[in-house]
Order: sequence, then C-alpha cells, then structure tokens
Amino acid sequence: MTVLVASVNSGIDIELSFNEALKNVGVSPEIAHLLWIPFPMGLVLIAAVIGVLVTVWLERKISAAAQQRIGPEYAGALGILQPMADGLKLLTKEDIIPARADGLLFTLGPILVLVPVILSWLIVPFGQSLLISNVGIGIFLWIALSSIQPIGLLMSGYASNNKYSLLGGLRAAAQSISYEIPLALAVLAVVMMSNSLSTVDIVEQQNGLGLLSWNVWRQPVGFVIFWICALAECERLPFDLPEAEEELVAGYQTEYAGMKFALFYLGSYINLVLSALLVSVLYLGGWGFPIPIEWFASWTGQSIDAPLIQIFTASVGIIMTVIKAYLLVFLAILLRWTTPRVRIDQLLDLGWKFLLPISLVNLLVTAALKIAFPIAFGG
Amino acid sequence: MNIANSTELICFIILGTIVIVGALGVVFLNNIVYSAFLLGGVFMSVAGLYLLLNASFVAAAQILVYVGAVNVLILFAIMLVNKREELKPIKGLQLRRILSGLVCSGLLILLIRVDLTTTWNLPGPNAIGELSTERIGEHLFTDYLLPFELASVLLLMAMIGAIVLARRDVLVSDIGTGESADQILIEKKKTPILIDKISQ
Amino acid sequence: MLSFFKKVTEYAKDAVGAANYLAQGLAVTFDHMRRRPITVQYPYEKLIPSERYRGRIHYEFDKCIACEVCVRVCPINLPVVDWVMNKETKKKELRNYSIDFGACIFCGNCVEYCPTNCLSMTEEYELAAFDRHSLNYDNVALGRLPTSVTTDPSVKPLRELAYLPEGCMDPHDIPQDKSRAGKLPLEVLELMNSEDNSNQKDEKENQTVFIKDKSEE
Repeated sequence: MTVLVASVNSGIDIELSFNEALKNVGVSPEIAHLLWIPFPMGLVLIAAVIGVLVTVWLERKISAAAQQRIGPEYAGALGILQPMADGLKLLTKEDIIPARADGLLFTLGPILVLVPVILSWLIVPFGQSLLISNVGIGIFLWIALSSIQPIGLLMSGYASNNKYSLLGGLRAAAQSISYEIPLALAVLAVVMMSNSLSTVDIVEQQNGLGLLSWNVWRQPVGFVIFWICALAECERLPFDLPEAEEELVAGYQTEYAGMKFALFYLGSYINLVLSALLVSVLYLGGWGFPIPIEWFASWTGQSIDAPLIQIFTASVGIIMTVIKAYLLVFLAILLRWTTPRVRIDQLLDLGWKFLLPISLVNLLVTAALKIAFPIAFGG
Repeated sequence: MNIANSTELICFIILGTIVIVGALGVVFLNNIVYSAFLLGGVFMSVAGLYLLLNASFVAAAQILVYVGAVNVLILFAIMLVNKREELKPIKGLQLRRILSGLVCSGLLILLIRVDLTTTWNLPGPNAIGELSTERIGEHLFTDYLLPFELASVLLLMAMIGAIVLARRDVLVSDIGTGESADQILIEKKKTPILIDKISQ
Repeated sequence: MLSFFKKVTEYAKDAVGAANYLAQGLAVTFDHMRRRPITVQYPYEKLIPSERYRGRIHYEFDKCIACEVCVRVCPINLPVVDWVMNKETKKKELRNYSIDFGACIFCGNCVEYCPTNCLSMTEEYELAAFDRHSLNYDNVALGRLPTSVTTDPSVKPLRELAYLPEGCMDPHDIPQDKSRAGKLPLEVLELMNSEDNSNQKDEKENQTVFIKDKSEE
C-alpha cells in the first residue's frame, strides 16, 4: 500500500511532529500512524469541497457576466454563499428512489462516480512535498481511476429505469472511453519528456527556467488535446451530450434528487477542478512561479533552506497552482458560453478521427525530438 | 504480529472474500446486468490484491484495462441489447449441469492439491515497488517482444474483423447468392440483410 | 504521395480555421464580460409598464349593460355574463361577471368594443397563483385596481429602455424630471395640430394651383 505523506514543506514535517507528540503522550508509533491517516483524507475532502464551492460561485458569476446579468447577489456579499445555499437545499431535499428503479444500483451509481474523482486528488501536488501521496505511478493512477467513472454512470443510467437515463448513461460511457485514449496519449508524451509518471517529478522538470521551461511550449499540441479531452471527460460544454437538456432531460441524472444528485453535481465540479489542476501540473509548471523562486532567494542573499523562505515558497506554490487552475476553469466557463453542443456523431468523429491520430503523431514527434535534442526534450 | 501486518491480513481477507463471492455471483445470478457489475467489482478487488503485493502499476493497469475497458464494453453490449428473453428449456439440461459440475469440481480438487503441495514461502526476489514500471517496459521490449507483438497483431485482427462485421455492405455481395447489393437499397430497407439471406 | 501531402495540408488548414473561429467566438464572449448588466432586480425593482400596456382587465359592474358584446368579440368567448331578464321592467339584470385569466390572451378586443367603457386594461401583470382556478376573476376581483409600480413604496420603479433620456442605457439613477428621448404624446399632438393647419393651407394652395393648371389647359 502507498504510504501517506503530507507535510507543509520539506523543512517542517507535520506527520513527524504529530507522531512525536503522540509518542510523548505514550501512544505506540503504529497507533499514531493509524490516528494520522484520517487527516490527509479529511484534507483532501475539505480542499475538494472548497474548490467546488468556489468553482460553482465562479461558474454562476462568470456565466452571468457573459450574459450581462448580475448572478447570485443576496446570499452573502456578491452571492458568495450561494453554493452553500445550493448545497443546503440539496441536503434537506427528500431522497427519492423511483418505484420501479433498482434501489441498490441506484444508490451505488453516484458513489462510484464520486469516489474515484476524490481519490485522484491524492496525486495533485501543490508544492515540493505538498501532496497527499507521491505515488510512483502518479498520473497513471489518475487515468486508471477516471476509467472507473463510466461504470458508475452506466449503473445509474440503468438503475433509473428510464429511457433518458439509459441513453444518457450509454452516451457518457461512450464519450468517456473514446476520449480517454487521446488523453492518455497526450499524457504519455509529457511522461516521455520527464522520464517519470510522478506528478512531482513532472513539475520539477518544468521549473528550471521558470516560464520558459513549461511544458506548454514543448507540447502545444498535447496541451490542446489534453484540454479538449479533459473537457469531454468532465462532460462540460461543448461535450455535455450525456445530460443534453433538450434531448435527454438531464441524462443519467434525470431520476436523481437530493443528496444523490448532489453527489453527481459535486463529482462533476471536483472533476473540473481536478482536470484544471492537472493541466497546470502537466503543462503550466504546476506550483512554479513564472520566475524561479530560487533566483529571488539568491538575489536577496537568502538561503533557500531558511524556514521563512520555505514557508514563503510553499505559499507561493499553493497560490500559483490555484491561480493557474482557476484560470483554466475560467477558460472552461467561457468556452461553455461560446461553443454550441456537438452532436454525438461529431463527438465521436472528433475523438477517433481527429484527436487520436493527432495525439499519436504528437507522441511520435515527441519521441523523435527526444532522441534528436535530448537537452531540450529531456533525454 | 504488528498493526501493519494485521491491516494487510484484514485487507487480504476482505478482498479475497469479495473476489470469491463476486465471482460466484457472476456465475449464479440470473440478472445479467448484476453479473456484469459484479464482474467489475471482482476486477477491482483483484487490483486491490495487486496493490497488496506492492505492484501498483499492474493494479492501475488492471483497473484501466479490465474495469475501464473490458467491463464497460460488456455493460455497453448488455444495455444496447436490453431485451428480456425467455430462454427455451434445453434438452438434457440436468445431465449437462451434472457434467459441467463434475468438470469444475475436478478442477477445484486439482487446484487444492496444487495448493497443498506447493511450498509457498519461496525466497523470491525483493519487491521493487516503484521501479516496476520501468522493469515491465524493459521486459516488454526485450525478452517478451514476440508475445507482445503477437498479442497486438491478434488485437488488430479482431479490430478489422469487428469493422468488417459492423459494415454490412462489405459482406453483402459475398454472402448468399453472391450478387452485389445496392448500398442505398440496404439503407432503405433497414433490415438485417445477413439474417434474411441466411434464413431463406 | 503529393495528393497525400495535399490532404494533410487541407486537414491542417481545416484545423487552423476551426481554431480561428473558436478564438473569434471566445473574443466575443470575453468582450461581453466587460459590459454592464442590463437586468432589473425584479421583486425590488420593476419596470414601469408603457401607456398602452395590456395587463389584467378592470371591470366596472355598475356601468355594464350586459350586452355581451365582449363575449362575441372574444376569440374564445371567455367572459361569463350572468344576467336574468326582469319581466316587469323588461330590462336585463346583471348578477355576475367573470373572466378567467388562465385562458385570457389579453388581446384587448373586449375593451375595444365595450359600448359603455366598463372594461379597461390595467398595468398589472403579476398573475401568478397556486391554483389555476383562482385566476378566474369574478366581478369583485375584476373591480379591484392594481397597485401602481410608481406608488408602491417597496418597489423601485425603473423606466423602460424607450423611455430613457437620449444616450442613456441604464435606468438606474436617472433624475425624475429628465424627459425621455423624442417627444411626449402631448407634444406630438401639438405638433400634429400645427402641421395639420399648415398642411391645410398648403393643400388649399396646391388645389388652387391645380385648378389654375387645368384652366390653362
């Protein structure tokens, strides 16, 4: 099993001090480790939920701005509490299971959709050692986990016993499996350049020269492919066919209400934030500031290991990751109001006949460049 | 026995139970959709077993390939042909059941014998953990290159076969009377031409 | 080989063209973000309905002569006029009058044709109800006058776009006395009257010229 590691930065290890504190009280180190485990889990949940709340608020406000409305206004200043109000409403709603539905699968479906997405947060780094788990297979874990989602979608589509749900579930699964391939190939090109599947290594490899060494310059095609595929995986417009209102009511979510619907809702937004974070990790230098922090440190004559500098670096890292991710979320929302929804045949055409060959060519070119220019393309 | 070991044991017992019960469910349940979902559960717990063996790459690949692709395709096929059919009683069903039961129990006895005679705690090489990804890649492109390529050729053949089967117009002229059929006519009729010609 | 390259270049051109269109679309959406909201915060702010707004119908029981013209001109014969003939006075006696606003299309024909002007259009448009039967207004309900948007203390009245001063797009914070763009109906009437007078003069002159022309021929 992977070992859970979470620490603010390499200088201050929270887990270690937690264990030390417990040891002083007289708890055995193993028990201390067991007691420690819930903390990273809780941290992931809190981070994901806060990310979702902010994204929902941004989605509403930016949508409103694009349509010359005001958007949520009365729940808190600038409507900042609106997502909370939404959540509370869903929490207090009646939990309905349709009479002819399959109760067990109906309940299991949303859980299967949400859990893999939250698990994928394990590998998102906010700093050098600011992640829950530096798994060796890093980015591959995310790809594997995101392939579980279609099962949950099919399950809820089938269990609802409703033709719209079934069609929505089938569409979601078809879309998910056809866009996973170009997505994985785009990731593979990045992995090839950084010689590692671990997200931390991928980011570190990009931060030698700040802005100039970001992967987006070396992988512009891969960046576009990844972003398109990520949007398709999140079922965002223009790829929201599984829940196309005009045709399928709400797709696989049609029969859902209350907390089960909230799970789908949460899942889709967590997935959006996660995709944006991973784009920033893979292509936009993750936690790296456009100008390397080390340079600042050397200019001011500070040691990089000084505690103050370390805390500064860690906070800049978190802020940079979040800013990059939310810029991408902004782009996704803008795209939502710019592009019309594609038809199902156009969607599959785009996936199989455009993105797949392009990503294969991209992979091939990357491999060739890696052999030809090992300095620039991570030999 | 310390906590780490006991946790591992508990995980193993849980995963093992899920695998066995799930596999039995796949075989014995009447609802084919339940069977398919249980199959997904079995695949996932097998991935969990791989994780327990420190083979995280294999576990992720297991989930990606078996859960994400194979099982989804099975479910897809089931749901696209979502038809409840009353199966006709087959003659001599009882005999067939007894025979297959005998074969299966023979296999089980064989496996139990293997289980009992093998010395399990072999002094194998240490688990390499994170390095396994590289090692798998090396093996695939050196020692096991031929099986790897053969497997990919096999998959290519299967894919081409699927395309030929899906594009009915390719086959129409070859089957039955041998005369070539008009593509527009096929689309107009929208009936499974293959079945018609065979049944005639 | 050459045709293959041609295909590839066409493919690439297509992709670049698509990206170009996408970028144009994004630019338009992005440009919209800096524009001011044009919406009205409804329950707190309301637009003032225009002069000839066709809202809920007002009805005066005492004026009605139960002639049923409104029923005849109504596209669906909606108004219910409940009267009895008083044999002694040989006159109709009106008992009840009702219009179902769940079915009314607010075409205004009844108002137009009412011989005694007992029907009129109000500016009330908030006709939401929990039960559709409660939209069937009887003569008492029809006789109520709506609260005007401008006199309601809990509502901030806003002028509609056509009633804003020249060059103004935002109805907020416009002084009350500032007149709308163009002329008010009264001013238009004055202008028309003065024009009519001058036109009549012109026409007379024209006529005389015309007569002159004829006589010359």
